[in-house]
Amino acid sequence: MAVNKLEDLRKRRQKIEEGGGAKRIEKQHAKGKLTARERINLLFDEGTFVELDAFVKHRCTNFGMEKLEAPGEGVVTGYGMVDGRLVYAFAQDFTVVGGSLGEMHAAKICKVLDNALKVGVPVVGLNDSGGARIQEAVDALSGYGKIFYRNTIASGVIPQISAIMGPCAGGAVYSPALTDFIYMVDQTSQMFITGPQVIKTVTGEEVSAEALGGAMTHNSRSGVAHFVSANDEACIADIRRLLSFLPSNNMETAPVFETSDDINKIIPELDTIIPDNPNKPYDVKDVIALIVDDGDFYEYQQHFAQNIITCFARINGSTVGIIANQPKVLAGCLDINASDKASKFIRTCDAFNIPLLNIIDVPGFLPGTNQEYGGIIRHGAKMLYAYSEATVPKVSLIVRKAYGGSYLAMCSKDLGADIVLAWPSAEIAVMGPKGAANIIFRKDIKDSENPAEMRQKKIDEYTAEFATPYKAAERGFVDDVIEPNATRPRLVDAFNMLQSKRETRPAKKHGNIPL
Amino acid sequence: MRKFNITVNGKAYEVEVEEIGGASSAPVSRPAATPRPVAPASAPKPSKPAPAPKPAATAPAGGNTVTAPMPGTVLDIKVKEGDTVSNGDVLIILEAMKMENEIMAPASGKIASVSVSKGASVNAGDVLIVIE
Repeated sequence: MAVNKLEDLRKRRQKIEEGGGAKRIEKQHAKGKLTARERINLLFDEGTFVELDAFVKHRCTNFGMEKLEAPGEGVVTGYGMVDGRLVYAFAQDFTVVGGSLGEMHAAKICKVLDNALKVGVPVVGLNDSGGARIQEAVDALSGYGKIFYRNTIASGVIPQISAIMGPCAGGAVYSPALTDFIYMVDQTSQMFITGPQVIKTVTGEEVSAEALGGAMTHNSRSGVAHFVSANDEACIADIRRLLSFLPSNNMETAPVFETSDDINKIIPELDTIIPDNPNKPYDVKDVIALIVDDGDFYEYQQHFAQNIITCFARINGSTVGIIANQPKVLAGCLDINASDKASKFIRTCDAFNIPLLNIIDVPGFLPGTNQEYGGIIRHGAKMLYAYSEATVPKVSLIVRKAYGGSYLAMCSKDLGADIVLAWPSAEIAVMGPKGAANIIFRKDIKDSENPAEMRQKKIDEYTAEFATPYKAAERGFVDDVIEPNATRPRLVDAFNMLQSKRETRPAKKHGNIPL
Repeated sequence: MRKFNITVNGKAYEVEVEEIGGASSAPVSRPAATPRPVAPASAPKPSKPAPAPKPAATAPAGGNTVTAPMPGTVLDIKVKEGDTVSNGDVLIILEAMKMENEIMAPASGKIASVSVSKGASVNAGDVLIVIE
């Protein structure tokens, strides 16, 4: 081949790889952000990234756009290996026309989604874009629509992970919102439908971009995002970690890692971890850390609805999704946000064949008008729905309170828990002893000469009789009451036994989850 | 009790604002925070004057007003006015949902005022403590 043709190819490629040029790259770095290519190189195992569509160009001629050069169309796309497993990715390049999305930019992303779906591997989207390329008008709009459609079609088939590493405003937010996981980088990323300026014009409210749609806003308040990372490097390391817990698609199971943590370990600390006084809080994360392999777990929505903990961990080397009430926050009550958080997590696990472990210490649903007006009925119903619908192995561990509807909502036997274990400290009942005694023995208490004394007597009676795991065990709602110290071996055994679990549901288009 | 007429999005609300006791200097120093709770006054019954508007869960600018996360009884107050606290210190034990919930300091600072007393019943959103 003529040397000049090779030279030409190399020159063309080099030009594309330079993105928006040295000046803009410097500006990107000054903001504490990496460039699209730097991010991609961090994400994939060294030397494994294969780029697609590097030569794609936009076709717009409006407003003098034909003269505009946009190397790579403002997005780097392709595939590569993460810990030796195939993953597809796209990274928007803010240095090229602000990473703005036009027809061909969208087409590149669509190709990534289409290919990933065909071969059944996860997609990681690194978002850093000023929004739609306005000059491309409805073509840009159509581009977003095509991405949304593919996100939806791929949902539940391949894991989709979005990272917000710069601005993400307007319609652009909905592609991440349709994916399974959203990461945000602290201080450098923002997501909102309407920005601070529009809000100021329309409602007069003054709010900074960070307060409106920054990483902590969406991680702690709105619940839109699931993870926050300190910077770009940390974010990409976190994504790689998350991928290690996930299978490549809905037909596979997550990779199994050999563990050196003894699966038969007896853990005496668990015998004393629950305070004697049922009104005393404790940190359920201590319980989780003791049970799982190497005390290592990865929290999902760590800063949102902290009254329920959701996390990925491994037991005997295999991924499990853990849902645990947190008595330390809001007494561990279920509320609107906790229900939403847990339901999405349960469905994510179920879609990707990740067994569920439920650690239960729940006093009830949070009372209050704002909860009722906010629709706790339809939000709480999501938990019942998500648990009932899930066909993965479901193991429930009742460590203390399990009262009323909240006990059911945390995956009781009746919602299809395959194995329910209880510690001797468990109190499984319709309601707490005080409330129950007041209702059942109202007459006795009223007629008594000393009502206060009588009430206490009846409460004690009720506590001894009903605030235990044994009533439920008598009916078979609890499979076994175990010594807390033996929890790890018992869980290892339960998940082992359930490995070949097969459960089918009636054929249907799709269920109708309460939304 | 002071009365204000406040217009939100063109809709007029008559709002009564009560100053809660404690050091008289404390409320005066934070006038900016007062109008804020008016927004949630979109209560279902617009005919009545806004029912003691509950500040949304978030504290006003600065985030150093500690509010009750849920309705309950104040079991114990671990600090008094003038105490210095650091982020994460336990301020109040609030018994709610059969649990002795530890209410912790959201930030370091000095206790400007304690708005509740031991044994008091509080509603979600009620101000418990102000840290300056």
